[in-house]
Amino acid sequence: MVQRVLEVDKLKVGIKDDGEKIAIVNGISFYLHKGETLGIVGESGCGKSMTSLSLMGLLPPGVERHDGDVRLGDLHFKDFSKKDWRKIRGKKISMIFQEPMSSLNPVYTIGEQIMEMVLSHEKVSKKAARARALEMLKLVGIPRPEHVLDEYPYQLSGGMRQRVMIAIALSCNPEVLIADEPTTALDVTIQAQILELMKDIQNQLDMSIVLITHDLGVVAEMCDRVIVMYAGEIVEESLVVELFDNPKHPYTRGLIASLPDVDEQKEYLSSIPGVVPAPGNMPAGCRFAPRCTLAHERCNETPPLFETESGSQVKCWLFEEKKSEVVAT
Amino acid sequence: MTEEQNVLLKVENLKKHFPVKGGIFGNKTLQHVKAVDGVSFEVMEGETFGIVGESGCGKSTTGRTILRLLEPTEGNIYFQGRNLAELNNSEMRTLRKDIQIVFQDPFASLNPRMRVRDIIEEPLINFGVADRKERERRLLEVADQVGLTPAQLTRFPHEFSGGQRQRIGIARALISKPKLIIADEPVSALDVSIQSQVLNLMRDLQKELGLTYIFISHDLSVVKHFCDRIGVMYLGKMVEIAEKNRLYDKPMHPYAEALLSALPSPHPLKKKKRIILKGDVPSPSNPPSGCTFHPRCASCMDVCTTDQPTLQAVEDQHAVSCHLYTEAGKKSVAAGEPV
Repeated sequence: MVQRVLEVDKLKVGIKDDGEKIAIVNGISFYLHKGETLGIVGESGCGKSMTSLSLMGLLPPGVERHDGDVRLGDLHFKDFSKKDWRKIRGKKISMIFQEPMSSLNPVYTIGEQIMEMVLSHEKVSKKAARARALEMLKLVGIPRPEHVLDEYPYQLSGGMRQRVMIAIALSCNPEVLIADEPTTALDVTIQAQILELMKDIQNQLDMSIVLITHDLGVVAEMCDRVIVMYAGEIVEESLVVELFDNPKHPYTRGLIASLPDVDEQKEYLSSIPGVVPAPGNMPAGCRFAPRCTLAHERCNETPPLFETESGSQVKCWLFEEKKSEVVAT
Repeated sequence: MTEEQNVLLKVENLKKHFPVKGGIFGNKTLQHVKAVDGVSFEVMEGETFGIVGESGCGKSTTGRTILRLLEPTEGNIYFQGRNLAELNNSEMRTLRKDIQIVFQDPFASLNPRMRVRDIIEEPLINFGVADRKERERRLLEVADQVGLTPAQLTRFPHEFSGGQRQRIGIARALISKPKLIIADEPVSALDVSIQSQVLNLMRDLQKELGLTYIFISHDLSVVKHFCDRIGVMYLGKMVEIAEKNRLYDKPMHPYAEALLSALPSPHPLKKKKRIILKGDVPSPSNPPSGCTFHPRCASCMDVCTTDQPTLQAVEDQHAVSCHLYTEAGKKSVAAGEPV
């Protein structure tokens, strides 16, 4: 069996409002195989970024983990102190963010920022750290790396900055890389460069990636397996080809259908009526039911994740019978 | 010449250069950022003309300069035969009744302290519709057209979601009964499921009211879906203009080709051959000599480094600005120069 490097177990993340817990991420479980790219897709407010931040112990003030656990190898994140987190972050699990403009420190050189990561995790000399920084810049394909080492972030373009972010994230050879919308702020031609680079490096280092995005095109390009999130819950989990060929959950279907297709000409796009409900004001039962065209009485109860014949999992009552058929045969 | 009659907007050699100030007192002009550098195109009545390009290519500046929200440095803008570049401010103000704009960010383009009804109604007051009843009638009419209920009109922008706010922005643009709407990235800030709602709404309105759109976007699949003809911009210049299916099936300019190939495929098994461009977009303050794309171009010839190609019609409904299709370029290919 393939090794699972990361396991998330019934993770609940939320805020406290007048002592009342409001869940933003409502008990999600998933795993990540070694060397695989797992996509987490969903629209704004579905909890995908909070999920990724809780994997890094970087939840913003006021937001906390209410329940559940994350396991990385034999480490349990729930017992972690601040000090433990510092040792793990960057060393075992690393992250790249959406905004390469604002996630680099403008007053330090590129070299210093990569060296900072190396020096805080490894007992090496400054000279060795600088050599590592140079090596990393070469790995991510930055032209004239010797010079860039002593340059400041403002001297680089968006695509180059994202390459630097990747260099920093990978400088201590982490087991898991979390990429939160890594190409959203970039132009398509630069996006293509960065995605290509991430694939290359993944093959070279046999790294596992959690890729968080709202862009189904990026998912199709990069991922092996996909989790679709809606309103803080996982509604579908499946292999990437299966997801595009045979989307199951009504939300996933709606999402894929509302994408304009370059190869096909339609006068109108199909769309999902209504808007995503706000946390704290979630509908009872299935959270997608108010926007779902296939909703029926049963949807007043929260559906569990049903396993389907193709091995994908769907949080929808429509797939209940299909499962029992499979069991019966 | 029947086509000529239908031209609603004609842009000729439009330029917008921003001065870069420097010196000790900041009063010396050091150089110019050539955000838009000689753009020409025509927009037919009732069509949707798309402008695509990457950030910094000048597509938004083009849109704003047409409306004279930014003063053009050079060039002519003919709207129904009148040259907008020559109008004085008050004439231009009245003319904006006919040309309206919808902005990208529905969070930043609505005044948070005004009620939605006041936001939508404001253009009518500016354009001198004094009759309160008439304004009220128009307000309810456009609100209905974009799908806002009368009860929602008394609320403030923060009470609305992104898609709803964009509806407010569209209603505000529609209320003066414009002929042309410049939509500057109207759906970029929205989620896909909401994006399709807004695009469908804009298409409905176009049919109902006979609108003409200039649709500015960086999203190639949205542009393909929504537009009739498309212009591709690179570094302040229009490099290719074509009917959309021609452009997507057979892009002629090497940049357009690379741009289209960079689009992520909509299916994991339909992977296509990518042309990965090397390097970044050069600075518009100091663009490369000759064809501005030549340092990144795979088919660069000697002539490209010295001579600037101009946009010329190569086939019906297909114009391109590239030496691969000019006499000078063909000669240089024939002379056996390295391609």
